Amino acid sequence: MRLTFAKTLTRLAEKNPRIILLTGDLGFKLFDEFCARFGPRYVNVGVAEAQMMCAAAGLAHEGWRPITYSIASFTTARCFEQIKISIAYAGLPVVISGVGGGFAYGSSGVTHHSVDDLALMRTIPGITVVAPGDANEVEQLLPQVLESQGPCYFRIGRGNEPQYHAKDPAVLGRARLLRDGQDTAILSTGDMASEVLSAIKTLNSSNYFPIAYQFHTIKPLDTTVLEKLSKKVKQIITVEEHIPYGGLGCAVRDWLCTKDQNVPKLISLGPPDKFVLGSPTQCEIRPEHKFDAEAIVDAIVSRVEVLR
Amino acid sequence: MVDIPVLEQKAREVRATCVQLSHDAGVGHLGSALSCVEGIIALYYYWLRISPQTCKDPNRDRFILSKGHACTAHYAVLADRGFIPLDWLFRYAWTKEPLSDHPCKHALDVLECSAGSLGHGLGIATGMLYGLRLDGSAARAAVLMSDGECNEGSVWEAAMFAAAKKLDNLLALVDYNGIQAVGRSDEIMGYTSLEEKFRAFGWEAHTVPGNDVQSIIRVLGEFPFKKGRPSAIILRTKKGAGISFMEDEVLWHYRVPSDDDLNNALAELDAKPIHLKDKKQ
Repeated sequence: MRLTFAKTLTRLAEKNPRIILLTGDLGFKLFDEFCARFGPRYVNVGVAEAQMMCAAAGLAHEGWRPITYSIASFTTARCFEQIKISIAYAGLPVVISGVGGGFAYGSSGVTHHSVDDLALMRTIPGITVVAPGDANEVEQLLPQVLESQGPCYFRIGRGNEPQYHAKDPAVLGRARLLRDGQDTAILSTGDMASEVLSAIKTLNSSNYFPIAYQFHTIKPLDTTVLEKLSKKVKQIITVEEHIPYGGLGCAVRDWLCTKDQNVPKLISLGPPDKFVLGSPTQCEIRPEHKFDAEAIVDAIVSRVEVLR
Repeated sequence: MVDIPVLEQKAREVRATCVQLSHDAGVGHLGSALSCVEGIIALYYYWLRISPQTCKDPNRDRFILSKGHACTAHYAVLADRGFIPLDWLFRYAWTKEPLSDHPCKHALDVLECSAGSLGHGLGIATGMLYGLRLDGSAARAAVLMSDGECNEGSVWEAAMFAAAKKLDNLLALVDYNGIQAVGRSDEIMGYTSLEEKFRAFGWEAHTVPGNDVQSIIRVLGEFPFKKGRPSAIILRTKKGAGISFMEDEVLWHYRVPSDDDLNNALAELDAKPIHLKDKKQ
């Protein structure tokens, strides 16, 4: 996703001369082309996330379209108040991109794990929260967030995420149908979509045909799709690389609670409310905490529910 | 030409306004407003190239009161300069009125940005100036901060950025009144010099008597202090300046003046609040 992000951004910056990129001293070599082509529209503010957000706000006040870049964990929690006050309170169209969402930097340890970013960002009024699932969704969604009116958090992976195909385009604010089916709906966000699709392959061979929706936009939540699904399926499974609070699972649960009885059963898969110690890789964390493709299959076939 | 005695009288009237507003609304932070009156006056009556007619002009100078809690002094000057109607001052800190307790741009569009949380204004100004420079504008920006605000790391992140980007159209003013919310700022900052800190961060900085409008105007006349460097003015002020019983008292960061306090303050200032000048009290 990262390379596609840089390429797409460079292409968009060619078309829109108001796009300006600020980085918190990250993205080694990634923006060389952007920098070569747009010179002063590439700004390395240094390891200073708070300043990056305030400067982005100042630029947006003057009619620029700033997009900031840093590692997801640093660019959300550390400068949360600057995002909330300088950017969002003012309603400014700043795109805050966070690379390495979830456990993409798993082996770098807890400091680099970003499993609370969606929750933090969702609490901010007026912000759009987006977590594309693969390079293709980045390519489709980045132009849309750079045209939106208010602030946006854009969580991307670190690189080499599996790519998938879906008939429907990725439209900001709308859940994207990845696979149609019946009985169960699996809702994913970020690159968990690939785990879901991999699970569906296995499930299909055992005659299970769940529906799969990718919620690349978590805020605003596509309640139209939820409304439809809640009448159509018996259970909903959410899968996310995020703590149990404030992410997709929580958003869906909150929404279901507002409905009358007879809503589908909800199972939320994802990592636990714990610091994941020992610096395991992303590939090790997902099976260990039961939110990989196999765990999704188990949840449907064996009705194994992991309590988080 | 700047008429110093006229501005000194103006300062007394702005102070009277601050006390009246604080008293009427029951809102504190009076000491913080009183200490920066001369700073705001020097900017609005001498330095800033803005007027009510040009307050949306892209090439106007920008002013950010980053120590937003001192906004009564700013509101008084905005009203006196015709940016906002005088009668708005009667409804300071009323619900859903333009002049809120902490400045809100949604309520008062003439502001460059909202304020209230410390350590945001300088960074915002650096972004504005960087963008304006790319647009070929020669607009300048002044940011007024408090000494307590300089405890915030984000101030120094912004200071580094401004120097690195050679934003010599940026002016930071620090209202060094020596008192922050619950203590003495020197004690909290370890008795280190603000002027030296700004210099160490690549700025050119001067310290002046900050409740003396002539001194401020004199140093403003030298702006930019050094080509290629942002400029900082440390305003050596007194918390609660101009009203003897409020001066240098931590208490007046919070305290709301009583009826007696108000009358005593107005008598000492020998000036009327600007929105009450034509009215009999």
